[in-house]
Amino acid sequence: MNIITNKTSQLIYGSSFAVATLLLSSPSLAATDAQQPCIGNSAAITGPAAFSGQAIRTGAEIAIEEINQQGGVLGEELRLIQYDDAGAPPRAVDNTRRIALADNCIAILGGYHSTAAVAQVEPVHAIGIPYIGVWAANTSVVENGRDPNFMFRVSAKDKWVARFLVEEALKVSPTGKIAFFYENTGWGNGALPDVNAAMSEAGVALVAAETFNWNDQDMTPQVMRARDAGAEVVIVWALDREGNQLLRSMDRVGYMPTMIGAWGISGNLGELAGPLANGVRVMQTYSFMGQQSELGESVLARLKADYGIDDPREIRAGSGIANAYDAVHILADAIEIAGSYDWEAVRQALYEVNRDGLIASYRPAFDASDPERQDALLPEHYLLTAWHDGVLIPFAGSPYDTGD
Amino acid sequence: MKHLHTLGFLLFALGLLIVPLTASNEYELRIFMLFLIYGIIAVGLNVLIGLTGLVSLGQAGLFALGAYTGGITATRFGFDIVMASLAAALVSALFGAILAYPTVRVRGVYLAVITIAFGLIIENVAIEWQSLTGGTTGLSSIPSPNLLGVELSGYAFYAVLAIALFAATLLTHNLKASRYGRAMRASSQSEIAARALGINVTTLRTLAFVIASMSAGIAGAFYSFLNAYISPDIFTFSDSIRFLLMVILGGAGSTFGPVVGAYLLTYLPEYLQQLAAWQTFAYGALLLIVMFALPQGILGTLDSALKRWRPHPRRSEPVDARTVTDTLRPSAQDTSRAELVTRALTVKFGGLTALDEASIRVKPGEIHALIGPNGAGKSTFVNTISGFYRPTSGEFEIAGQQLSGKRSDEISRLGMARTFQNTELFGDMSVLENVIVGCQQHFGYGLAQALVRSPRMRREEREAQRIAIALLDFVGLATHADDEARFLPFGLQRRLEIARALATRPRILLLDEPAAGLTTQEIDELATMIRQIAALGITVLLIEHHVELIMAVADTVTVLDYGQVIASAPPSVVQRDPRVIEAYFGGQGDLQPTAKANP
Amino acid sequence: MSTIMQYILSGLAIGGIYALVALGFHIMWSSAKAVNFAHGDTLTIGALLTIMLLAAGLPLWLACLLAIAAGGVFGTLVERFAVRPFAAHSGSIGWMLATIAIGIMIESLATIETNGYSLPLPSPGVERAVRILGAGVYPQELLIPLVAVLATLGLKLIQRHTLVGRAMQAIAHDKQAASLMGINVNAVVALSFGLASLLGAAAGILIAPVVQASATMGVLLGLKGFAVAIIAGITSAPGVLVVGLLFGVIEKFVEGYISTAAREIVGFSLMILVLLIAPQGLFGKREVVKV
Repeated sequence: MNIITNKTSQLIYGSSFAVATLLLSSPSLAATDAQQPCIGNSAAITGPAAFSGQAIRTGAEIAIEEINQQGGVLGEELRLIQYDDAGAPPRAVDNTRRIALADNCIAILGGYHSTAAVAQVEPVHAIGIPYIGVWAANTSVVENGRDPNFMFRVSAKDKWVARFLVEEALKVSPTGKIAFFYENTGWGNGALPDVNAAMSEAGVALVAAETFNWNDQDMTPQVMRARDAGAEVVIVWALDREGNQLLRSMDRVGYMPTMIGAWGISGNLGELAGPLANGVRVMQTYSFMGQQSELGESVLARLKADYGIDDPREIRAGSGIANAYDAVHILADAIEIAGSYDWEAVRQALYEVNRDGLIASYRPAFDASDPERQDALLPEHYLLTAWHDGVLIPFAGSPYDTGD
Repeated sequence: MKHLHTLGFLLFALGLLIVPLTASNEYELRIFMLFLIYGIIAVGLNVLIGLTGLVSLGQAGLFALGAYTGGITATRFGFDIVMASLAAALVSALFGAILAYPTVRVRGVYLAVITIAFGLIIENVAIEWQSLTGGTTGLSSIPSPNLLGVELSGYAFYAVLAIALFAATLLTHNLKASRYGRAMRASSQSEIAARALGINVTTLRTLAFVIASMSAGIAGAFYSFLNAYISPDIFTFSDSIRFLLMVILGGAGSTFGPVVGAYLLTYLPEYLQQLAAWQTFAYGALLLIVMFALPQGILGTLDSALKRWRPHPRRSEPVDARTVTDTLRPSAQDTSRAELVTRALTVKFGGLTALDEASIRVKPGEIHALIGPNGAGKSTFVNTISGFYRPTSGEFEIAGQQLSGKRSDEISRLGMARTFQNTELFGDMSVLENVIVGCQQHFGYGLAQALVRSPRMRREEREAQRIAIALLDFVGLATHADDEARFLPFGLQRRLEIARALATRPRILLLDEPAAGLTTQEIDELATMIRQIAALGITVLLIEHHVELIMAVADTVTVLDYGQVIASAPPSVVQRDPRVIEAYFGGQGDLQPTAKANP
Repeated sequence: MSTIMQYILSGLAIGGIYALVALGFHIMWSSAKAVNFAHGDTLTIGALLTIMLLAAGLPLWLACLLAIAAGGVFGTLVERFAVRPFAAHSGSIGWMLATIAIGIMIESLATIETNGYSLPLPSPGVERAVRILGAGVYPQELLIPLVAVLATLGLKLIQRHTLVGRAMQAIAHDKQAASLMGINVNAVVALSFGLASLLGAAAGILIAPVVQASATMGVLLGLKGFAVAIIAGITSAPGVLVVGLLFGVIEKFVEGYISTAAREIVGFSLMILVLLIAPQGLFGKREVVKV
């Protein structure tokens, strides 16, 4: 009796499961409502960078809501389709094709990971759909040597970030005793030539260049090498977790240089490292802390109303939200200028957009005549912030701003 | 069953033809091409998991090797798709063979961990070796695939992939039905028995690893062309799990299972997207459900259901009784030389001497019984002369040929067959297949012929089947030919082992306690069978407790005690030997069938 | 000199974690001839639960205790629902994949809970670094190898002097005989999985102040702990301890003198090499194949 029921139930389980999966897998993957114009986004929704997908969604949604309240684009409501790439390049490539070919979206917003963005360059050009990066800052994503170039960006560019950070570092160490710490990923490795170039422009050379992996628990070997090389400032291309390990390794060996970082350490470094993080400077594109513009106040109000934010200090990925917000608005403007959803027309129109955005005044957003100006945000729009008691505050006027 | 497979292949081909015509956009076609690539990996991995029962959790590493080899040769040397995938297959096969080496010594979890480590090593080498692989930045701008310099269109590339998967499925299907596939399955169910039948298990495992690696490598090369970009984070541990799951979900060991599994797991992530942050969780839950609800996989479960619903008809082929004599006699013609001699054979386990300078001579054509109390060293003796234990010193030979130092499969091929005290059948195979595995060393066709089912392969397979049925008839199991071996009653299992051992056409047959657990009537039948076997000119070495059986059949009895030979003479003499009586009773009495041995 | 000292001390800290994890594998393997492949995730469970309980307002010691206990319960449940159902099958693929599946689910839950961020676990042990022969370490890091040594000793004491411990030994030796002697094999196996996970959760709490708690913190630690157990010989607890500490130190030297990616290459190659030369591990007992 027992055996029989066991077998039958197994069979029922088995067959119903098989039927379910087969039904699930009919190969039609097109979005249900293909009529409504859409913007696609491939970003990390799962995995260690899950917060980034969340931030991009937030910024883009706020912008889309505003656009739709004012009548949408070309008289139709715009919507966002977001797919997860979990930081994996092949999934980003698949998502790119899905967004362009199955969902027929007008443009693609980029995600957090530089390796994913680098991988997207090929399919984006093969298909010919405009791509606007809102996070990944790798230089070669946008400066890819293609003509026409379909890769645009409303975010930082490592080449310029490197220059920006080197300038700041030289203020601290005029003799150029600068070390570079970078994560061993596409993002970190991609920044190494940029930092080297920025250094030689300033007529100095790095005293040490050290790398580390994700999830490394201890970086004392690298830190000691930098210390022994006499570095007074370290520039870091790291995420919060490894940035914290770096600070702690410095603390272990009693070596406390000034740390200046790209925005990977703008998430929760202050929380992780506690007082050790105080004074660590981070480049950002935007901060919801401090004095806000009128537009900034209104976005902040939306964040408070709809996204459970009580206090601006809870916003951990302000730059990502702001970038996505501005990118969507620029895109909507371009669609209106183009007067159609045609990919090539929208690409052309992106060079015509002039807009006062949240982060900057884009006049124009992109410049067709300058290959470096596929980036909407310029070095002068970059913002230096500093960690202070667990919160990122604008560097200017902070306790660490000694005015030199 | 055969018709089902033909139908399956037809449907499969039809599907591969229809899909590109119905795909509504390039994206859908592309996802389907991705499935074809994963399918190639899964089909190859199925040989390893489904046939040899080994688990690899490092398939992503081999996939990466193929992808990098393909990508690098294409970018640097301008290899076309065929050359690049051949290069990839070669490199992956080489590493597969290296990876197979540990299986000589470790199995199960240990092997799984080695494969995991291998995958991680490859991933990190790809990161570290920047000049070759581009490091973490990866390898971009891999040229679009071309064949002999002609660039392949989307559909032509699709055709290449579709043909590759179809061919891979067909070839592995043929492999499964050949002596190679059969021996692989046998070795996964009982390695010991497989070795004793003359199967070189190490070679087979290496072969399976190489096949799985080659297909992963070829798939990798295709993948690098499809993606035009590769980086180390494409080939992670979780991908290895996914490839393994494809095989398990579809049904390990079945022909189309891995294809079905690859299909489902290629499309699944696209649907799980709807779950946003919960998709990884859903994937894990699915994996768990599969392990519980469908351990045999989809096709395996369907197959079992089908078998329950419509069992095999009983076989009723006419059996030619002469087959047995014809098969077994020729090999026994040179009976004058089928003599087993051991000289001062000593086996020590640590401090314990299990066998102490045992010198035994088993004369050609005789039935020689080996007896002794428990712990006397009988099993050690059998396991040593059949090559499972290494003697500490001493030597042994068969028909003048040195055997010490040879592996069990080599010894088997030199004409020694054996049965096991605890039966070692290939439980999941049919009774008939069990016996055909015994025929293994008499097949002459090679791997290539097996893959294409050449006329020679079919002829030899038919011949083996004829012999196997005759042997089953000889031991009285012909009506059970299509039953699964594990469902046979115990007494019949022992007979099947004898038939299987005879299928190797031995010159000498070792029967290790064949009467244990049999009824009196079964023992009588066994005695008759042993005599019949000896009458065919095969030397029989019988290890037994059962004194009545020994007295009834043995020409010579050798008695072991504490690892030493204390007597070797005809039964009537041994029965009265005071030293033997001493060994069994510590002094007095007569050798009785009911005797319970001294510790 | 200070560099070498630094590598040794940092290596001992991480090596202590490897040893604790490997000890868990040793305990599970001894009793069940199976392990929890999601064992690394018990570290995550221990660390993240402590942080959540702290956030809920519990004192540190109570949060730690509860989290460790939860880890133990988790191990027992894994044994009951993901290992035991497959124990009857000959292959190991069943429980391997089932426990891997559980690991995937836990990591996913933890990611959703933390949004992918690492979280700090405050501890008095990381407030100020101390100096030893020119090398700097946190007291917390010095504590870890110490705990690993104590855990190994404690395990030995349990195995020698308690009924449960002896039952574990008996089962490790011969499961069937133990069962015939009236030992409740299932209960003891479940208990040993619980004990292993208890150690895992404790290891997670110990290391979290140093490395921060995150959804993925346990994955690589778990894998390396297993590698350590295999190199040492999974049947030997003292062997596991020694190899664990050594493995950590070697890693630091490779990392210091070559690179971090080379660290994984060297570490795992070492494991494969040892397995080829001595399949039973450096300190393990050889298992005789019976025919």
